[in-house]
Amino acid sequence: MSHAWIDGRPVALHVATAEAARLLAASRVPVVAGLGTDIAGARAAIALAERIGASIDHMNSEFLLREVEVMRAAGIMVTTPNEARLRADVLLMVGAGLVEAWPELPERLLVRPPVGQVDAAAKRLILWLCPGGDPAKLAGGAKVQVFGRNRRDLPVLLAALRARLAGRPLGKTPLAAKAIDALAAELRAARFGVAVWSAAALDALTIEMLCGMVADLNATTRFSGLALAAADNAPGVLQACGWMTGFPMRTSFGRGFPEHDTWRFDAARLVESGEADCAVWISAYRAAAPAWTRQVPMIALTGQDVRFRQKPRVQISVGRPGTDHDAVEHDAATGTLVPVVAKNPSKAVSVAAALAEIASALPSSGAWPC
Amino acid sequence: MLTRIKGGHAIDPANDREGVADIWIRDGRIIEAPGDGRADETYDAAGKIVMAGAIDIHSHIAGSNVNTARLLLPELHRGMTVRRAQTPLSNAEWGTFQTGCLYAAMGFTTVVEPAVAPSDALHAHLELADIPIIDKATLSVLGNDDCLLDLMRAGASASHIRDYVAWTLATSRALGIKVINAGGAAAFKANVREFSLDDVVPNYGVSSRAIVKTLQRAVHELGVPHPLHVHCNNLGMAGSAETALATIAAAEGLPLHLAHLQFYGYGKDGERGFSSDAARLAEAVNDTKSVTVDVGQVMFGQTVTISSDVLRQFNARNQASPKKWVIFDGDGNGGGIVPYNYRSSDFYNAVQWCVGLELFLLIEDPSRVFFTTDHPNGAPFTTYPEIFALLMNRDLRAQWMATLPPAAVAMTTLASITREYSLKEIATMTRAAPARLLGLRDRGHLGAGAVADIAVYSNDADRAKMFRAASLVFKDGELVVRDGAVTQYRWGRALTVAPGHDRSIERRMQEYYSDRYGLPANIMAVPATAIGRPEPFEAVPCAR
Repeated sequence: MSHAWIDGRPVALHVATAEAARLLAASRVPVVAGLGTDIAGARAAIALAERIGASIDHMNSEFLLREVEVMRAAGIMVTTPNEARLRADVLLMVGAGLVEAWPELPERLLVRPPVGQVDAAAKRLILWLCPGGDPAKLAGGAKVQVFGRNRRDLPVLLAALRARLAGRPLGKTPLAAKAIDALAAELRAARFGVAVWSAAALDALTIEMLCGMVADLNATTRFSGLALAAADNAPGVLQACGWMTGFPMRTSFGRGFPEHDTWRFDAARLVESGEADCAVWISAYRAAAPAWTRQVPMIALTGQDVRFRQKPRVQISVGRPGTDHDAVEHDAATGTLVPVVAKNPSKAVSVAAALAEIASALPSSGAWPC
Repeated sequence: MLTRIKGGHAIDPANDREGVADIWIRDGRIIEAPGDGRADETYDAAGKIVMAGAIDIHSHIAGSNVNTARLLLPELHRGMTVRRAQTPLSNAEWGTFQTGCLYAAMGFTTVVEPAVAPSDALHAHLELADIPIIDKATLSVLGNDDCLLDLMRAGASASHIRDYVAWTLATSRALGIKVINAGGAAAFKANVREFSLDDVVPNYGVSSRAIVKTLQRAVHELGVPHPLHVHCNNLGMAGSAETALATIAAAEGLPLHLAHLQFYGYGKDGERGFSSDAARLAEAVNDTKSVTVDVGQVMFGQTVTISSDVLRQFNARNQASPKKWVIFDGDGNGGGIVPYNYRSSDFYNAVQWCVGLELFLLIEDPSRVFFTTDHPNGAPFTTYPEIFALLMNRDLRAQWMATLPPAAVAMTTLASITREYSLKEIATMTRAAPARLLGLRDRGHLGAGAVADIAVYSNDADRAKMFRAASLVFKDGELVVRDGAVTQYRWGRALTVAPGHDRSIERRMQEYYSDRYGLPANIMAVPATAIGRPEPFEAVPCAR
């Protein structure tokens, strides 16, 4: 079975990587996109981008950068899933998409009373704002109080809640003022409350309102936030980008040092506008293809069976991190980078190894490494 | 390959040697002068100063809190600002790669990241692995973690706690243990807003003092070379000198290291209720031989405070400049990121600057006071050359003091201090003593058998210039810096200890993780194969 192709024709891996290196060396504005890979793959991708003056972007940047945007504009208070598990007496579930973002959430936070709960006397109260589905089913059968049914009501509901917590009057809101006051009282009475949300389901202003409310609550009690992770190791790739470049993804090395701009270095925009003249697409966790429609010479490092809109010039079939090879990736249960042992080790090449081979085939240059 | 560094003025206080000497290197180690005296390569160091590579025992250079600070403050990076000269952190260029290059250029070859949560150890080690040239190490943070507090609440035996500490060191690949506001972060999670040495952590019923003493004893009995590294309660508060004095007294004859003492050097005197108590602290340190301290010098300019003292950072959030901050209630400590601008026109900041220098100058033994800015909390590490110059020149200090608010200087004794550090004392403080404090027998000196980590400086009267750009730096015998510019990149190692533990702790930890978290305990492991560099770790022996 083949693992590498040029224009759809099977070739040896070293032939494919040499052709990839040739395309990248000839490119003036390359992008390294997708970045659905483990930490080793991300480090290799960022080092390659630095070498060739490319910009880097992740396929889930849009959701992740909403979170980053709120943090770096206004600040944030957050906790870990494990602290929420051991300490939360109030869980404020915010909006839709939570169980989709973290399928183990009901099992880990909602269903069973935790063993070794820090405050033995605390009871766990689950409040869910605009869940966007059957709350009992979403919560795995745990008892849930629901506030707001229509997900479009969420921004106003949060604003109203924050206003009442600050003792301000309310105008027209989706819920009766009495219900909002009751909810505010529950939040104030929390000893260690945790608000849980998924950035994929909320816009940046809603996240900022929520995080502002969490900070406000800490004037008198303890409350913190738990943002559920974006998929394809996006939080892990964010960390590697941070330590290697100082910035999140959507960072470019085009001018010889890292520059960050969430609009300029959006990979899809760079391709659609015609600015980018070569793209590396990486998706090792699943068979995802880029969403852009414009033709651009592409080097694809993906699993098998990806349905591309346009055929990549060079395609390399890579192993799935944590399945085909050992990996380090962000873990939703701990909120940190963890080692993962390969479940089904194979000889499939890793993203890191394929990128290292491409880098070694580049014409040598003084720059080294990121 | 035989290398000779010829005719430099070698300053090697660890071996009680100073004078013109040749240094010979073979296979990455310093050797005695060989009989035939023919070197494959020779570097002329005539008229220059030769020291071992410097060792920084406390600098926040890696891990998720440091990374959050990077992501919180894009405006401090080069790519986002045209005012580079005014923004020290952007000069530091702050990524892992630049961290290694900038340290190496100053002649530093080993740096300790002093605050790694065990749950974050893999992340921290991955960052450290991307810092080139220098060697690194971590201190693992205990003392606010549910596991230790639960053991203490249950009256666990000293041997059980020792095993837990040893297991943590091995699992997180650390060189030592640090405690940060012992119990304070756990108390803050229970809505406590002030926490001192004899306060008790709610739900657990153990005092801060008991946590410090328990960990101090465990680290000592395990034979870990570096004593318990303590970040005291009440950091930064007026009157915090009392807390530091109480913690020094609590050492009770056993080794204890107090971090960034400057931030506890404050009394409550004067119109503003904020004064220097550095003289009293220095006297206590001078009298308490089992205690070592590092300073955490403040320098003026924009920086960001990164601390696992989450309670202190929460209380400091309204002083953030720019006005944004992150408070992270993590497993154990967590952390707080609060950007801050130290201004020379500010009364409080000026007192802080003086307090740091007073401690440096009033603590008599340079082998018990360590050179730090608590990077980046007091100042970025790129300010070290200026601080060396200030320690070595009282006229320079007087010039700086003349620019500060006189009322602030008057609240300190700095103007009355005439001491000037010698190069030998600088070498003791930054080479010989830190190697001894960390148990690194083959570092910090120029004797045969030492790792050939060597810094050669031009003997410039402008000491800041001299220390900013080393003339030559060798790492493991390889030339890596010439005239302050990196000439050769290489990957360093992380230094670790593993004092050994009873195997039963592994089963107990599996049970603990399974009960509490429904996770395997090895989710916190740092496998060497995960680091992505050849031989990423180097073991340092323990005393027993």
